[in-house]
Amino acid sequence: MDFTETDEQRALRAAVAGLARKYGYAYYTAKTRDGERQTELWQEAGKLGFIGVNLPEQYGGGGAGMYELAIVLEELAAAGCGLLMLVVSPAICGTIIARFGTAAQQQDWLPRLASGSAIMAFGITEPDAGSNSHKLTTVAERDGDTWVLSGRKIYISGVDEADAVLIVGRTTDARTGKLRPALFAVPTDAAGFSYRPLDMDVAMPEKQFLLFLDQVRLPAGALIGEQDAALMQLFAGLNPERIMAAASAVGTARFALDRAVSYARERTVWSTPIGAHQGLAHPLAQVKIELELARLMMQKAATLYDGGDDLAAGEAANMAKYAAAEAAVRAVDQAMQTLGGSGVTAEYGLAGLLANVRVTRVAPVSREMILNYVAQHSLGLPRSY
Amino acid sequence: MNIVVLMKQVPDTWSERTLRAADNTLDRDAADAVMNELDEYAIEEGLRLTEAHGGEVTIVSMGPEKATESIRKALSMGADKAVHVSDEALHGSDALVTSAVLAKVLERAGFDLVILGSESTDARTGVLAAMLAERLGVPQLTFASKVDIDGSAIAIHRLADYGYDTVEGTLPAVVSVVEKINEPRYPSFKGIMAAKKKPVETLTVADLGIDPAQVGLAASATEVVEWAKRPPRAAGVVVTDDGDGGTKAAEFLASRKFI
Repeated sequence: MDFTETDEQRALRAAVAGLARKYGYAYYTAKTRDGERQTELWQEAGKLGFIGVNLPEQYGGGGAGMYELAIVLEELAAAGCGLLMLVVSPAICGTIIARFGTAAQQQDWLPRLASGSAIMAFGITEPDAGSNSHKLTTVAERDGDTWVLSGRKIYISGVDEADAVLIVGRTTDARTGKLRPALFAVPTDAAGFSYRPLDMDVAMPEKQFLLFLDQVRLPAGALIGEQDAALMQLFAGLNPERIMAAASAVGTARFALDRAVSYARERTVWSTPIGAHQGLAHPLAQVKIELELARLMMQKAATLYDGGDDLAAGEAANMAKYAAAEAAVRAVDQAMQTLGGSGVTAEYGLAGLLANVRVTRVAPVSREMILNYVAQHSLGLPRSY
Repeated sequence: MNIVVLMKQVPDTWSERTLRAADNTLDRDAADAVMNELDEYAIEEGLRLTEAHGGEVTIVSMGPEKATESIRKALSMGADKAVHVSDEALHGSDALVTSAVLAKVLERAGFDLVILGSESTDARTGVLAAMLAERLGVPQLTFASKVDIDGSAIAIHRLADYGYDTVEGTLPAVVSVVEKINEPRYPSFKGIMAAKKKPVETLTVADLGIDPAQVGLAASATEVVEWAKRPPRAAGVVVTDDGDGGTKAAEFLASRKFI
């Protein structure tokens, strides 16, 4: 086991951190306030090959793995300007297409996803199904050479900036007549496809959407990979999602901790900087420990995933996502406490971050569903649902 | 065009830096080592010139083993190859000795143009360009905020308090640059991966045909005799606005040459 990153991984970390410093949290909040996206940052990261770092070299990617993509998101988030669509476009969709797509699909999508010139969103959650993917009602029916897709999706990130959405639908199994999952790349300008922004109470540049698929007719090539292997394909994409969610949360925790520590070092109310008081020092030390533990599990998950062990990666990715969300929520909360009144001001931007970071406990998979997963799969306990 | 960019690894400018008590030389362990910021601009300019005129960028760096990290960064930005002069005997060398060693490297490598940052953030002598030009017998064009090359003619904008002077010369030449000249690129992931395979030649003083006794602290013409910690920041100037606040603010800025 090697806990030292390679020269290239460290160089990537430094290069992304350098780019992220140029933008930072002020850029993120300005874009959010103006209802805009972090387009300049996305494009520059794409040009530097950071967005497609995990995608195959033959399609313009970096030929590295999820470990490297997690470095990219962690460093961006640590500077306060995380890019949510990294979780979706190269990590979930890029991975699924690279691993299971046909040659034509790979040629069509991967170069654009790798450069960042195209973005693919991901649509799984439905209003009536929630976390229960067995209740998905978005159904695709075969009609000659085409598929006809109908259904609804909710809480789908970044559809307005996406060229297509990878929709998790279901098809009828010819043999058993049962519905089974299937993945479709649905262009956002397809006839019958429409979307509406959801009025969210958190402030971030990426918006959330409700999708309507009303008899969307798609060519046969829109079905990604094998009709019969969709469940495995889906899990292959969801592990990277969790690793990336963890990377984002770990980066955010670092961001909050950095702010708290630099404030606690400088701010002097009596004779010593407030960071000397154990009432503030110890909670920050605990945050540091929890964040490093979460980071370690995230790196383990990424390493297992890149090594091809999907099953072991699944457990580690879930645990990492759980731990990183907890560490991030605690880091922002304790940073606010450290800054006192300043922690509520717009200048330090911690109060606004509180709502954002709280989302990591809910999405992309809730804390409770992870606990269910660990209870059943790691501990072998019976399930209640 | 054969461009050599000189690059120095320095202690991080934003960290607390200090000297070693034993010999008053730089304490390299006290702070993180980074590439001298102005050298990033020098590398960027070298890359832009070769992109426009063809040729190669060679990085030359003198420094301890650890400087390899900064050399890798320069290569990941797009430089083609590097020469690393690394020798214990060089410890404590002043600008005069450093220029003698670097001149040897440059003579050995050959060059059309040498580019360097106008100063390093650690020693800040800002004399290396002039010393090198003198030793190499080529023109020096310093404090460049713009470089134009046309055949063997070179012209720069030399930054001044009042704007800039246009300075012209012929290649081969030595150019030092200021940060106004460009915006250095970030290493791309492809650049990072490619850097691994680029050649880095490591040379000792003996490899350059220099007697080790002629370099280092003992052979240096200058010596740091004593030093003190930076004094705490002084209080600022408070200007009372009696209706002429704007004028006073302008006078203050003018006295500091901001306007």
